[in-house]
Amino acid sequence: MNRARAKRALGPALVLAVASLIGYARAAMEGGRFAQAIAELSNAEKKALESAPALTVANAIWALGSEDAVKKMLRSELDRLPESEGAARARAFVRFGIIDSNPDGQAAVFFQACVADRNLCDRARLIAAAERETKARLVEPGQHLPLYLSSGHLQVP
Amino acid sequence: MTRAHSFGLVWPYAVAAAVGYLLGSLAVPALAALATGSVNSPLVRVGFALREDPQAAPGAWPALAADVQAVRSSLAAPEREAFDLVVAVRGLDSGGTSDFQRAERVCQTLTWQRCDRATLMLLKEQSRP
Repeated sequence: MNRARAKRALGPALVLAVASLIGYARAAMEGGRFAQAIAELSNAEKKALESAPALTVANAIWALGSEDAVKKMLRSELDRLPESEGAARARAFVRFGIIDSNPDGQAAVFFQACVADRNLCDRARLIAAAERETKARLVEPGQHLPLYLSSGHLQVP
Repeated sequence: MTRAHSFGLVWPYAVAAAVGYLLGSLAVPALAALATGSVNSPLVRVGFALREDPQAAPGAWPALAADVQAVRSSLAAPEREAFDLVVAVRGLDSGGTSDFQRAERVCQTLTWQRCDRATLMLLKEQSRP
């Protein structure tokens, strides 16, 4: 009796196994591309990818967003980014300095950029970084270097 | 042999084929997640697609569209709409093909100054992380 049952189950079990293989092969061929490509990256690169969507949104808002949208985005970027992400925080401060119309406010945020990334304490590098950001901005305000950088009065430690 | 009897013989095979195919399909993402650990999340996959501009088979895009929705649901306005805009220009939920008409609509919803096609094409490049 048990033997007969086992015989009856053998056919569906074989079909189950073959169908699993077909399903696996098809899914691996079509859907596994992204997962496979990611699997080849190092853990540090994978970790960096986690912030890519937020960074992309920030870049989009910087490129086209209104002044209010940019300021809101920069505040949330500075909340999101840890102190260890010095270069990214410095970039946010540089963008803040460009969009800020108040020279005193500009001085304060460019100083913060220098604190976040010591490379930007060098005037030429700070100006180069600001120029990169003004080129990436496709609408006003923010398409020109702020007076604080273009006038030559810059004091950072 | 009656029709009911033949059905009784065939259905275990049909069920086995359907269940087997489903299990096999589900095994790919499950094994990929196991192999790469917890860092292979929707956020990472969408981040990869945004960074790399990947070429993939048609079957890979629906899975990415589901990841895009998962990431979108974690964002608040106006970041969510800005993300929609990027998704449209990069074609992340349309098989990798930019949907500029949708991008223009999203951009206009945001009431941003410039929402023309040429600007959105520039955005496609500049939004890369």
